[in-house]
Amino acid sequence: MEKKIEKQVPIIVTENVKKTYEDNGVEVQAVRGVDLTISAGEFTAIVGPSGSGKTTFLNIISGLDTITSGRVLLNGKPLSEIKGSELSDFRRDHIGFIFQAYNLIPVLTVEENVEYIMLLQGIPKAERHKRVMEILADVGLREYAQRLPAKLSGGQQQRVAVARAMVSNPDLILADEPTANLDSKTGSELLDMMKELNEKKGMTFLFSTHDEMIMSRARRVITLKDGIIAADVLKK
Amino acid sequence: MWFYIKLAWRNIFRNKRRTIITSIAIGIGLASLIFTAALMEGMINNMIQSATSSFLGQAQVHGGDFRETQDVEKTVNNLDQVTAELKQDPLVTNYTLRTLSMGMIASPANMNAALLVGVEPGSERFLSKIADTLQKGSFFDGANPRDMVIGSKLAEDLEVSPGDRVVATVSQAKTGDLAQEMFRISGIYQFGIKEMDSGLAFIRLKKAQQMLGIGDRVHQIAIKFKDIKTADMPGISFWKKYSRFDNEAVPWTILLPQMKAVLGMVDISLLIMAVILGCVVVFGIINSLFMSLYERMFEFAIMRAVGTRPAGLRKLIVLEAGALAVISIILGSALGMILTLIFAHSGIDYRGIEFAGTTFHELIHPVMNKWHYVVFPVGVLFFTMLVAIYPAWVAGRLRIATALRKSL
Repeated sequence: MEKKIEKQVPIIVTENVKKTYEDNGVEVQAVRGVDLTISAGEFTAIVGPSGSGKTTFLNIISGLDTITSGRVLLNGKPLSEIKGSELSDFRRDHIGFIFQAYNLIPVLTVEENVEYIMLLQGIPKAERHKRVMEILADVGLREYAQRLPAKLSGGQQQRVAVARAMVSNPDLILADEPTANLDSKTGSELLDMMKELNEKKGMTFLFSTHDEMIMSRARRVITLKDGIIAADVLKK
Repeated sequence: MWFYIKLAWRNIFRNKRRTIITSIAIGIGLASLIFTAALMEGMINNMIQSATSSFLGQAQVHGGDFRETQDVEKTVNNLDQVTAELKQDPLVTNYTLRTLSMGMIASPANMNAALLVGVEPGSERFLSKIADTLQKGSFFDGANPRDMVIGSKLAEDLEVSPGDRVVATVSQAKTGDLAQEMFRISGIYQFGIKEMDSGLAFIRLKKAQQMLGIGDRVHQIAIKFKDIKTADMPGISFWKKYSRFDNEAVPWTILLPQMKAVLGMVDISLLIMAVILGCVVVFGIINSLFMSLYERMFEFAIMRAVGTRPAGLRKLIVLEAGALAVISIILGSALGMILTLIFAHSGIDYRGIEFAGTTFHELIHPVMNKWHYVVFPVGVLFFTMLVAIYPAWVAGRLRIATALRKSL
């Protein structure tokens, strides 16, 4: 599970990425030419006002949404070359997701939710169980393994989502407003945990957020405005 | 696969009320189908029983083309050997010998044409229900060789009652000479079937043979099997065996082609019911699945985002439909079984009603048939999973980014 931080190794490269879509008959230019490189081990936040294109950009670099023009490379591989089920497999093996809320499958226990991706990967049960228990220990939820998500607090549910995102050791974890539905104390604890995991395991985190707490913890803050990068600040 | 089955099973219980309502709707459809099939089978058995036990027998052996020509000279060939074999045949429980000839019956008041049937009273009781349907008098109880038993309508036409005398006239074999004998009406029966009540007159076999001048020969051997289904097995050797010596052995299905056609209609009725049930299943399942699908778009989008293939989602939807079908099948089969058991025990009273030339004489008892609990439930399961392909296809085409955006 331990991963050596390989700084300067690009995980994501976007080249003049543009995305236009129609919303109720109106053409919306959500992303208007973004050039960006995210390297391994980064803890980066993409910030910006509502409608600035943050979520769309995250969707694009994860292959959840298509681009109108430009190029996206994940680990050097152009996403446009991956289609259909291969794209599902690619996301499964290379990207971890944390959404704002309702991340988990409500009828599965914590353990089953976390092991889901490994199950899709065909990892044997014993190995799955071992890795689930390890990651649940990392997020402090080992004793909650058999609970259903509804029996957990919002913060605990997000921790489970973090565990699920990390358990298959992906190249990149994308978190879309992960603290939006949490109170500030719970959100702060969650971010501290993610930061610790980033430092300990060297996983690359990319956030889309409005949250000051995330911005303050991120080493790099990219500001999107009207679909273009308005600022890209690397903290010392 | 096991994981998806587990997930599907748990998913359908997320909205218990909807699952229960949908399952009950499908279950009632299935129960109706099971019960209707059981009732139809009971009705068919009753009809076959009525048709074959009234007089016909479950099979008959005739000589040559007697069935077509009704020629009194065409008697059963090698009768002694045939009857000896029937006596030993493990498929046969009873048989009786008959002569058949058209004749005139005259009373002091009137005259009527009728089929004069020569019977052996002892064995005839096992093959026909004439003795059971007597309205007046008796069925050859005494030793009088000139006893005659006729139908109620014929008695009405001839204006006779038990004890009255009539004269029967038949044409003899070989010579064609007319032979006349006087008989005494000993019994009057009523089947409830017009043709039988007005067109048949029974006399003793010996007297009939003597009148027709055919010695010990007979025109028909009526047969009753140990299992009535034997008559519906055209492939068995029985038919060939008794069709030797230029005889013809035929089951009731050939003797009563109209009845066979009615049975075919029953199958079609069941098929139509199955199609109606299918429509209930289609709309019930599609409605339920789409409601569930649209409620869970975000969840499906997340599943797709984290790496579930479209085929995985499709599989999940089809399995959810399958799980719904399993619950419906359990409910429907139980309900169908309870209904069938209740009415199989109490019976349904259609007595006296004539249908397709057959009058129901006994209560109809729906039949508990294990195949009804295999074929119909498997059909429901298959049909349910088949119709789930459409919502599954819609789920598989989910646009993840759109679903995530719209659901939040």
